[in-house]
Amino acid sequence: MTEGLTAMKRILVVEDGSTMRLFYRDVLEKAGFHVEEAANGVEGLERAMLQSFDMAIVDVNMPKMDGYEMVRHFRQEPELKSLPVITISTEADEKDAARAYAAGANFYIVKPANPDLLARVARLLTGAPT
Amino acid sequence: MTSAPRQSSFAPRAPITGEEYAKFCEFFYRKTGIMFSEKKVYFVERRLNERIEKSGCEDFRAYFSILRFQASAEEWQTLVNDMTVNETYFLREDYQFDVLVGGILPEIARRRRPGDKISIWSSPCSTGEEAYSIAIHLLEHWAKADDYAIEIFGSDIDSRVLASAREGIYGERSLQRLPNGLRTKYFKKLGFDKFQIRQELRESIDFSVANIVESVDMARFRSVDVIFCRNMLIYFDDASRRQAVEMLYECMSPGGFICLGHSESMSRISSLFRPRKFGDTIVYQKAPTDD
Amino acid sequence: MLVKRTDRTEAAVSAAEGDIDRLLRDLDAPDGALRRKAAHDLGANQLAIRPLCGRLATETAPSVRAAILTSLIRLKSPKVVAALVEFLRSEDAALRNAVIEALQDMPEDVLPALDRLLNDDDSDLRIFAVNIMNELRHPEVRSRLERVIARDTHVNVCMAAVDGIAEIGDETLIGPLQMLEKRFPNTPFVAFAAAAAIQRIRGAS
Repeated sequence: MTEGLTAMKRILVVEDGSTMRLFYRDVLEKAGFHVEEAANGVEGLERAMLQSFDMAIVDVNMPKMDGYEMVRHFRQEPELKSLPVITISTEADEKDAARAYAAGANFYIVKPANPDLLARVARLLTGAPT
Repeated sequence: MTSAPRQSSFAPRAPITGEEYAKFCEFFYRKTGIMFSEKKVYFVERRLNERIEKSGCEDFRAYFSILRFQASAEEWQTLVNDMTVNETYFLREDYQFDVLVGGILPEIARRRRPGDKISIWSSPCSTGEEAYSIAIHLLEHWAKADDYAIEIFGSDIDSRVLASAREGIYGERSLQRLPNGLRTKYFKKLGFDKFQIRQELRESIDFSVANIVESVDMARFRSVDVIFCRNMLIYFDDASRRQAVEMLYECMSPGGFICLGHSESMSRISSLFRPRKFGDTIVYQKAPTDD
Repeated sequence: MLVKRTDRTEAAVSAAEGDIDRLLRDLDAPDGALRRKAAHDLGANQLAIRPLCGRLATETAPSVRAAILTSLIRLKSPKVVAALVEFLRSEDAALRNAVIEALQDMPEDVLPALDRLLNDDDSDLRIFAVNIMNELRHPEVRSRLERVIARDTHVNVCMAAVDGIAEIGDETLIGPLQMLEKRFPNTPFVAFAAAAAIQRIRGAS
């Protein structure tokens, strides 16, 4: 590895569906990111607290702690206040986007996510090279 | 030990494939939040093979079907028991005692006045190592230990282990993580491989029988500030675990803390507690204002 | 310093424990701890199903909500299932999720309700039904999940089912999974999910 290469940007995927998590991992790893996973909001909060990430992708509908609540908790933690967050939902309603932004998300996508869009937004939010 | 090594009487007819192992791990992770490390592959596979054999299943597939669909979840519970090692000794997972003294107690103390009570509960306490470890650790490492009336109690459903706990006699193996200085300070040597906790310490800790899902038993525990509930909840079935967690919640002071085992997480258990980080450790806190 | 605990308060096991009227009143008490206790104690009484569900509709404290659901799980029956299923229509995500988890603990009683949900016009409700089935300890879940991926018109409902199907891992499910891609062409996730699920099944058999 040559000096000066930027370290890989790290993304936390918080999603209860195992196949969906695999999909995000596939798309994001191909786009050059390092991916960690969590299967619900509690686990997502724990991982985000213990490790450092450049971005989180969060499904809104999860058991134990949903995505909105998890993001609200993020915004109360000094280290996670500015963590870029994309929320993903089945809803295309404007009010769901509003909910996501009110909880503190930076961006909102409807599932199933388009891989190109996802990779593009991830690069944008993490400042990774295009 | 010189008995002959176990033969492959536990090898099922077809060895578990890599994909089957991955499938098992995915299932285990989904249900418990626990991911087995690379180091544990041999251990996990062996235990899994044992269970497949013992359950009378022809292959992994048949066994997995039981794990997934058996209504009683009895085989699942047995499997979970087998997968987790249950040894107890002094200063086990002592990084949590560091968190207790360095993070949790200072935070609690800020809300208390000198002389106030602070209560710490070890559940299940088994033969007492955890409760005594907590006591020793905080006497040794918490500068403010003398400023508060610290109650430490241990409870267990098994009265025999409690009798052992009260007696406080342990062997060399149990003490191996204790620095020598602490050993002489807190224990009296009774003989070869026999050490007893000094009387003063033994008498400072309250050990009692309690069943954590029984509300009558749990009603005796109120306003507890810190609970060590390590490697217990994972062994409950889903229904009992819900009960147990709600009972523990009830027993806690607002703002109280609960510590689980090293590989455990509330993420598969309950959303009633908020994860809190101290150093590299996650513990869980009840909301400071009771809802 | 360490002090030995002296006040082992033996809680007076209330002689009125079975006093359902008092418990029902406490269920609406301003104090959360009282509500929790009432919710817990009512779990021994079949007559409490309706009032417990009634309280669930308005309860905002998560710990009381949890106690109510634990009691309803104890009282499990088709009646409880029918009442709980209605909460899946709630706007409150936390409540819905808590109800889904409770329903997952009632395998014997929940199937008929799931069948109705699987025919609902609202795709979100169908997704919740699939979520419940993915966790449900009941062998008849398999055929229902298969039917979902063969027939459901909404891609996200089918995708939710793929997880459960991949886990069950029956080789006979490979065919339906291959059909999925044809049913939802030009959706990258569907192709990926079907292929991933097939690979999991093939590898593990």
